Amino acid sequence: MTNSTSNSIENLKDLLTKHYDIKEFEEPIALQLAFNIDKESALDALAFLKSQGFGQLSLLTCIDWIESGQFQLVYILMNWDNGIHLQLRTFLDRDKPVFKTIQHIYPGVKYYERDVHEFFGVEFEGNEESYQHLFLEMWTADPPMRKDFDPVKYSDDKYSMREYTTEFPTKIGGK
Amino acid sequence: MAIDDKVGRDAWEKLGDFFRARSIWMMWYCTGCGAIEMPPTMTSRFDMERLGMGPMATPRQADVLLITGYLSTKTLRRVIYSYEQMQDPKYIVAFGSCAINGGIYFDSYATINKLDDYLPVDLYIAGCMPRPEAIMNAFNTLQQSIRKGEADGWKRYKKNSEFYKENQRKAIGEVFVHDEFHE
Repeated sequence: MTNSTSNSIENLKDLLTKHYDIKEFEEPIALQLAFNIDKESALDALAFLKSQGFGQLSLLTCIDWIESGQFQLVYILMNWDNGIHLQLRTFLDRDKPVFKTIQHIYPGVKYYERDVHEFFGVEFEGNEESYQHLFLEMWTADPPMRKDFDPVKYSDDKYSMREYTTEFPTKIGGK
Repeated sequence: MAIDDKVGRDAWEKLGDFFRARSIWMMWYCTGCGAIEMPPTMTSRFDMERLGMGPMATPRQADVLLITGYLSTKTLRRVIYSYEQMQDPKYIVAFGSCAINGGIYFDSYATINKLDDYLPVDLYIAGCMPRPEAIMNAFNTLQQSIRKGEADGWKRYKKNSEFYKENQRKAIGEVFVHDEFHE
């Protein structure tokens, strides 16, 4: 059984800053820790964190920062011994979104990588299955969760709308 | 049998429709959020069985397909599979505003807006979602239209199959499931 004080958030911060170049930590609420790390050391850090008790990968997701031209991958990990949730974030170049798979560390990430590849177009080297479609079968347009994708235009082009011959009032009471 | 026959059925079809209206098997397939309205409709609170309706586990033995809410393109592909597996005569009841005109998902890249472009709908129920009272009322209406021979979606699907197939191709590409569970 791990000692709760030895594995607290402060100890985790010390441990991480000793090994990696992490500029600042955020603590959104109690028992949560978030930080950015450069993409070269992200894989190493994930393997290190797993050895520190973060056995569960809760989620891998992605954020499109279109103004700064970057994708941000977010790995959410959890430690069941002390209940700490941890967000490890890393930035990728938006024009060339390529990262490496972490299947050898967390095998369950297979489907999350498919999801992120499908919705954001991020490629994960080493995960051959990530090229298969998961939700959007036979999708030919741009990845739909990118900020420059226009869902209204896509929907209007592809799915016809019902046409109404009667004009219905859209305001209650007004003319 | 006091049935006015505007739709041109012979005596056997009339007789068949008279009995069909009293033993409708509903297919156990739920999409979207309307699925949650089905348990109270089926169980003792509203008791669908007093209309002679019951749930059926397989499309091959079911008569009515309920579209209970929005349809994503992925689900539409499976719904078309299920509908085509059902035997004639078969009916479709669509629930809620999402099946009618897209509802709050009118601008979604993943959901269709107008179900009767892709499958022949016999009856729409308005609401978001329709309450079990509305569903029971709709089942009653469905029974009446079956008895009168007006619920003829399955005939329209055969007659206008080019129209439906064209629309299906436009929305979902090929109507064939390519995934790791089917290949």
